[in-house]
Amino acid sequence: MTPENFLYLAVVLFAIGLVGIMLRRNLFVVYLSIELMLSSVNLILATFARVQGDMGGGIIALLMIAVIAAEAAIFLSLIIYIYRTTKTVDSKRITKLANQEEK
Amino acid sequence: MESLVFSILALFLLAGAIGIVALKESIYSAMSFLLVMVAMAGMYALLHQSFLFLAQILVGVGAVVVLSLMIILSINLRIENLPSQQITPKKIGFVLTMVAPIVIILFYAIGKTDLSFAPVSQEFGGIKLVGSELFSHWVLPFEVISILLLSAMVGAVVLSRRRLDSDS
Repeated sequence: MTPENFLYLAVVLFAIGLVGIMLRRNLFVVYLSIELMLSSVNLILATFARVQGDMGGGIIALLMIAVIAAEAAIFLSLIIYIYRTTKTVDSKRITKLANQEEK
Repeated sequence: MESLVFSILALFLLAGAIGIVALKESIYSAMSFLLVMVAMAGMYALLHQSFLFLAQILVGVGAVVVLSLMIILSINLRIENLPSQQITPKKIGFVLTMVAPIVIILFYAIGKTDLSFAPVSQEFGGIKLVGSELFSHWVLPFEVISILLLSAMVGAVVLSRRRLDSDS
C-alpha cells in the first residue's frame, strides 16, 4: 500500500469516468461519470494530504464534497427539466439551443 | 492487513466504476455508484482521514446517492425510452485515442515519482484538526462554498419548478 497505488487507482477511475462521458448518451450515466471523476480527484487530494502530513489536502477534499453535492442538485434538477420538456434523457436529442436559429 | 483492505476496496471501486459506464439501465448504474461512494469512504479511512470518511458517508452516500436514486426512480424510464446505444468500433477507437494518451502519460509520471506516507499523529484527519485548520487557513474557501451552495439551491428550485405561463 504505497501512495503510488492510490494514484494509479485514481487515474484509472478518472479514465473510466471520461470514457463514460464520451461513450454514453444517457444523461444519468453522464452525470454519474462526472461524479466518479470528481471522486477520483478527491482520492488524489486525500492521498497527498497523507503524503505531506498536512491537513490542507483533506480540507480541499472536504470542500469538494460540498461542490459535489451542489453539482448533484443542479444536474438532477436539470435532468428533470429536460425530461419534462423533451420526454427523453438522450443527450443527442437535446437540440433546443442548436435549432433556435431556424425557428 | 492494510494492503488486503486496499486491494478489496480497489476491486470494489473498479467494479463500481465499470458498472456505472457499462450497465444499460440507469438504476443499476446508480447502484454501482453507491458501491463506488462507499468504497471511496473506505479509502479515506485507509488514508487516516476520519472526518472525510464521515462526511463522505453522510453527504456522498446519504444525500447525493439517495437523491440520484430518487430522481431515477421517479422518472421511471422504460427500457425502450432509453437512448439506443450502438457502440461501434469507430466510437471505441475514438475514445481510446482520446483517453489512452492521458492515462499513459499520467502512469509514466506516477512511475517516476518516489512518494511515501509521512508519519502522522493519531489525531491527523480528526474533527479537531479539521475544524481548527478550516477556520484558520481555509475561511475564505469555506465562505465561497457556502455562497456556491446557496446559489445551487436557488438554481435547483428555479429549474425544477413547474413553468406557470412561459413554457407552454
